[in-house]
Amino acid sequence: MYKSRKRFLWVAFILFFLIQFYQPKRNVENTISEKVDFLFYTNAPDEIQYLINISCYDCHSNNTLYPWYSNIQPFRILMDMHIKNGKKNLNFSDWGNYSKRKRETKINRIIKEINSNRMPLESYILMHKDADINTIQKKRIVDWLQTL
Amino acid sequence: MKSVLKLIPIMVISITIIACNSEQNKNTDAGNNSEMTHDHSSMNDSSLISIDAILNDYLELKNSLAKDNANDAADAGKKLYKSFESTNSEKLDSKLKAEYIDIVEGAKEHAEHIGDNAGKIDHQREHFVLLSKDMQELLEKFGSTKKLYLDFCPMADDGNGAFWISEIKEIKNPYYGSNMQECGSIKKEY
Repeated sequence: MYKSRKRFLWVAFILFFLIQFYQPKRNVENTISEKVDFLFYTNAPDEIQYLINISCYDCHSNNTLYPWYSNIQPFRILMDMHIKNGKKNLNFSDWGNYSKRKRETKINRIIKEINSNRMPLESYILMHKDADINTIQKKRIVDWLQTL
Repeated sequence: MKSVLKLIPIMVISITIIACNSEQNKNTDAGNNSEMTHDHSSMNDSSLISIDAILNDYLELKNSLAKDNANDAADAGKKLYKSFESTNSEKLDSKLKAEYIDIVEGAKEHAEHIGDNAGKIDHQREHFVLLSKDMQELLEKFGSTKKLYLDFCPMADDGNGAFWISEIKEIKNPYYGSNMQECGSIKKEY
């Protein structure tokens, strides 16, 4: 009994060690296209830029600010899954390439997601305290979005 | 040894028969396919595109939401997504096709989200508001053989009001279900 548990721990440790070598390409483009990026495209005021950058852009743009634990697996795999899914639904770095129709729909959807507190994700806020924007800040974003 | 030698021609024959058979199958498959595509083209000659399959799944989704059944709605959403994928728009001219794709791209996303959110009927209904707008545009651009109604409920979508397409004259509100089944009125007939 004791022996098999010891072996299990060894296997788990070796797997944990090996998976650290899996470090796929990061979601970092460095350049921001001023023609296409949402905040440039919409000429967003500074406050809105700050709020959206800090609470949305990690998963909804081509530039993620990775936290230190992104170097450790399996956190990185989970993070990449979130980013992939987030960008599929809405990529602010690709905003200017969206059709007019798509932009209008997305704005409608963004407002609903914020108002219903589905976004930013709770699991994201847990690890990113500064992304935990309050009701007043959310209202500022929504009010601004409605002027677009 | 002798018996093994006897077996060889039998094996050769059986292999050729199997090979020939599968060849034949392939041929008949190909024949069926070409017949099917032919059928489609003759059907689409008049209208170039048929969105009836999409409409049927949409109506199934609408009826599930009107019955407050989020799981059936999710199933219908998945079916609708597939129908969007399989509807052939190749016959449309490039301008019309671009418009079609622009509408369907968004509509597909809504169908997908409705399919992914079994059990969360509020979230499904949010997407259904936008999906219904897309469907209305598709219907008005490409038409349908069905008798349909455009219904409107001024209270839905947080008081912004929302449309839906229905196959029945009676009002059965998909945004409120049993809470406010009769809210709404017919705005248009197709």
